Amino acid sequence: MKAQASLEGKNLIDEGESPGQRALKRLKRKKMTMICFAIVVAYILIMVLGYLHLLPDFQERIGAANEEPSFALAKILGTDLFGRSVFYKILIGTKTAMTIGFLTTAISVPVGIFFGSIAGYFGGKIDAVVMWIYTVLSSIPSILLLVGISYVLGKGLVSICIAMGAVGWVGLCRMIRGEVMKHKNLEYVMASRLLGASHMRIIFHHILPNVFHLAIISASLTTLAAIKSEVILTYLGVGIQNGASWGTMVADAGGELVNGIWWPLLGVTVAMFVILYALNIVGDALRDALDPKYVE
Amino acid sequence: MKRRILLLSCLLASIASVAGCTKKKPDAAATKPGLKIFYHYRQSEEKNLDPVKSFDEASRQHIRSLFDTLLEYEYLKRPYELKPALLTKMPEKQADGVTYLFTLKTGVKFHDNACFPGGKGRELVTDDIIYSLKRFADANQNRLSYTIIQGLVAGMDEFRELSKKQTTGFDYDKNQIEGIKKVDNTTFTIKFTHDSPLNFYPLAFEGASIVPKEAIQKYGEEFDKNPVGTGPFYMKSYSRRGTTVLARNPSYHETYPTVGAPGDKEAGFLDSAGKQLPFVDEIHLPLIEESQPQMLKFKKAQIAWVAIARDDYIAMVDRVDGKNFKLKPEFAKQFQLYWEPTLATTFMRFGMKDPIVGNNKALRQAIALAMNAEGWIDLMLNGRANIAQSMVPNAIAGSSRETGSAWYTQNLEAAKKKLAEAGYPDGKGLPTLMIEYRAVTKDQRQQHEYVRNELAKVGIKVEGNFQSFSNFLKKTDEGNYQIADAGWNADYPDAENFYALFYGKNKAPGPNTSNFENAKFDELYEKSRHMMNGPERYKMFQEMDSILKEEVPMLLVANQYVMGLLQPNVRNFKRNLMEQYPYKYVDLVE
Amino acid sequence: MLSYIIRRVLQTIPITLGVALIVLILFTQVGEDPVRVKLGNHATAEAVAELRAKWDLDKPLPVQYVLFLKQIVSFDYGVSFNSGEKLSEMFASGAVASLSLTVPPFFLGLAMNLAVAVLIAFYRGSWIDRYSTVVFVAAMSVSYMVYVMFFQYFLAYKMGWFPISGYEPGFGSIVYLALPWLIIMVVSAGPEIRLFRTIFLDETKADYVRTAFAKGCSPARVMFVHIMKNAMIPILTYTVIEIPNLILGAFLIERFFSIPGTGDILLAAINNGDFPIIKGLTVLIAISFTFCNMLTDILYAYVDPRVQLDS
Repeated sequence: MKAQASLEGKNLIDEGESPGQRALKRLKRKKMTMICFAIVVAYILIMVLGYLHLLPDFQERIGAANEEPSFALAKILGTDLFGRSVFYKILIGTKTAMTIGFLTTAISVPVGIFFGSIAGYFGGKIDAVVMWIYTVLSSIPSILLLVGISYVLGKGLVSICIAMGAVGWVGLCRMIRGEVMKHKNLEYVMASRLLGASHMRIIFHHILPNVFHLAIISASLTTLAAIKSEVILTYLGVGIQNGASWGTMVADAGGELVNGIWWPLLGVTVAMFVILYALNIVGDALRDALDPKYVE
Repeated sequence: MKRRILLLSCLLASIASVAGCTKKKPDAAATKPGLKIFYHYRQSEEKNLDPVKSFDEASRQHIRSLFDTLLEYEYLKRPYELKPALLTKMPEKQADGVTYLFTLKTGVKFHDNACFPGGKGRELVTDDIIYSLKRFADANQNRLSYTIIQGLVAGMDEFRELSKKQTTGFDYDKNQIEGIKKVDNTTFTIKFTHDSPLNFYPLAFEGASIVPKEAIQKYGEEFDKNPVGTGPFYMKSYSRRGTTVLARNPSYHETYPTVGAPGDKEAGFLDSAGKQLPFVDEIHLPLIEESQPQMLKFKKAQIAWVAIARDDYIAMVDRVDGKNFKLKPEFAKQFQLYWEPTLATTFMRFGMKDPIVGNNKALRQAIALAMNAEGWIDLMLNGRANIAQSMVPNAIAGSSRETGSAWYTQNLEAAKKKLAEAGYPDGKGLPTLMIEYRAVTKDQRQQHEYVRNELAKVGIKVEGNFQSFSNFLKKTDEGNYQIADAGWNADYPDAENFYALFYGKNKAPGPNTSNFENAKFDELYEKSRHMMNGPERYKMFQEMDSILKEEVPMLLVANQYVMGLLQPNVRNFKRNLMEQYPYKYVDLVE
Repeated sequence: MLSYIIRRVLQTIPITLGVALIVLILFTQVGEDPVRVKLGNHATAEAVAELRAKWDLDKPLPVQYVLFLKQIVSFDYGVSFNSGEKLSEMFASGAVASLSLTVPPFFLGLAMNLAVAVLIAFYRGSWIDRYSTVVFVAAMSVSYMVYVMFFQYFLAYKMGWFPISGYEPGFGSIVYLALPWLIIMVVSAGPEIRLFRTIFLDETKADYVRTAFAKGCSPARVMFVHIMKNAMIPILTYTVIEIPNLILGAFLIERFFSIPGTGDILLAAINNGDFPIIKGLTVLIAISFTFCNMLTDILYAYVDPRVQLDS
């Protein structure tokens, strides 16, 4: 296959094509991936609208208590106990969920990159300390760690994001450390070292771009994990309390399902399902597209 | 994918068939041949089954069935009143007016247990009562509930002080409670400090249950795992996180009541009158913490009795003409519905030490005027409550029925005027107020959403701080909060128990966590405390109500109902708020 | 080999020290106050102070840390604050319940997921691969909570195929555990199959596969003999690392199905601020985690002769 392709001049790895361009090209070819990417963008849009206060007010009563779904936009997923639109609540929940996903990622990925690269690059004592920290953190059941950190930081959106970020950086750190260790003895690093580049320059200018795909993949997975964890944390009583979130909606659905009120649970499950599915597919596609070793 | 589905369904079928064949689960509604089993559940783990070491709902659930107290509450009569349990008759007042003579029933036996010679339960005597009351007063044993009897029995407080100095080996034989005197093996006297209506309530409290000395000596700290009493049931098997089984005490001394409240006869509550208790052979109590499996099991008739949460209410119950309820037609044939006003008041406290809320009476009045208790009851409780007009719930003598007191009703115009008077016209300049909640539950969250919406109507902004109960207690005990969710469940059915919540000397960490202090109120409280119920006492209550209304150290909301469902074969179940788990009275029919 | 094991065992010391420190800071300084939980809202100030002293909660952090380390060394965590039960007994009975909940579906699921993953990897790129990816990713995108609530409602209540909840020690518990097992297997199917598929596909790119094909092996033989053997290393790693989590049970399932396992015990302990349980369980898990890590490395060396333990 490969030989044939190059004979016809269609080899993907053309000289002069940057890894980024190549990745984009690969991504674009898959229709499913593009759809999923669009879904992620749509969810981000909902989040942005939420912050601009452009989403409909979910607190407003629009009907009787626990109305079944019908064909009006607000009632497309029925109403809750207070006669509020379940659909609007899910929209606000989307804003919360996406915020949690991104904030957590924004905390855990830089931390993971930083510690992973300095540990891998410098080795020795720094490496030992970083390894110690992440071994300790990964030896404690993560759910316990999450609850514990949110106790210390208090309740609320930001603190659970920090908690999840503090738990989430470990995996990425381990991967980056491994990759950096491999790269630091490669010729191109040696060369720049001989040319007198500083350590920081070598790490951030030369090595990191070569291992950055790990961070991007990790970002999509962290976002996904954060959205899922929020549900469990809310059940444990350390999640978001003021305002709507998917976690509170799932927790609330407990008593409702028994009585045949299925629409809030269905609605929130579908909303979660769509974004998690999209993130999964996008994450996979990113991995395939960004892996330098990956050749079709 | 097809293969996967096939595989899955094969697996499902095989597991299901294993589940189906291995054992048929007994139906709770049907009685096993020759054995009546009442299947119920425990909502949470009990703290301790030693009466003096417990003061929580889950422990009470066991203790009331394992042990007896000297007095107990009438099961059927309302309002709640005391009757003799281990006594032959109510205590008799002696010549000095503060000493009472107690006569024990003869032939009452402790459960058979290895702690007695030959394993046979011996007969109850006066010494057991004195021993148990000393143990209740001993500061080394009772850390939780002594306040309930504090100051009532002559010499008991002194006995407790003495016990504090001897943390090990405090000897009950050498140290006596001055006011308790043994006459003979079946009679004794107790001298009280005042002749007060409050004197007898502690003797019906489960913490003062009668325990045998032999068992405490044998089991020591392990007594809670080997409880021995004279109660209607004994502990057949104990599993804190699994299923606990209580089995019938065949030689229980008590019989079913012969008189009840009006209407009880027609309702069939007196069908078992005079028969020996208890009626069921075993009580099965698995720990089921989640409401979903509780309700699912009930609907499958695998448990006999379940409480109705709000979600269940909406799906299963209809409200008819104001304050009546009936099951929706599809459930009416299947289950029995009951409801009963609780002996609890739902309210919210103001932290009087807070610089914004505490020093500004007009602000508190404005908030009280902006609240809509009726809407709260309609929306949050589906009408299952009375509006609270005073601190005292309606089922207790001295409530607004007797005093005629009235609380604020929502009046947004007046609220806005008051708010302006408080220095915050239309809420301008008023910082967001923080409301403390004691749990992280859906109900608390939704309650907050309601309050926020109501107060927003006059421009008052509030935020909720949802926390665990222990953190909530810490916060309120320190008194540094603005508004706190609150509720008080009567320890005993007397109005005094509710006014004590605002008595100056009970300031935090006492029950007055508002830290409210008012000389006139305190004076009235002290005067009315030991008075017998009657117009004179009610008048004082009314004066106290008007002080509370003027000063607003709290926001009154509701006197809630409890509501629940029973399987159709459950008999003799009348919800009694002073006897929350009436296992000894209930019966099952075919 | 022996010297390696000794060195690894010694390495657990700093890790345990770290775990102990984190647990102490996270749980015993803020969070729930066990004294309040125990005494409730009728407690007097002196009773609170007394109990605090009895439980060493009034000591400064360093002292508490030293006391904790002593407990770790002596393996004696004392009794639960809340119930007064001996921790060793609680953990033993909890672990039996948790392991009977988690072990059968773990191994059964592992076998099934491996089989399915091999098949999918074998037919990679075909419609089977494409559609199964959709199904498994979809299965992964539903919250654990939803599975638990829905399966209990639908399979146990609506269909009546399983008891709603309950547990009894011994083999009688199979009746009650069947549905929880099913849930655990369904939840783990998605991620595991996808992980295994990736592992298999990574192996197909290896040089030895090309060699095998060059030798004229059939694709099936390559897949099931050569690739399977090599893929075992990462799969084994995954399996061993998961073992400590089995002890911890599955707290959501334990709560909804009234199974008295360690997960439920831990959850209750967090809610009650029952420090001895939190401390004891965390250290137990951390130690078994380190142990399992060591086991993986040794297994690695055993399966793959190229890996040297002493490097």
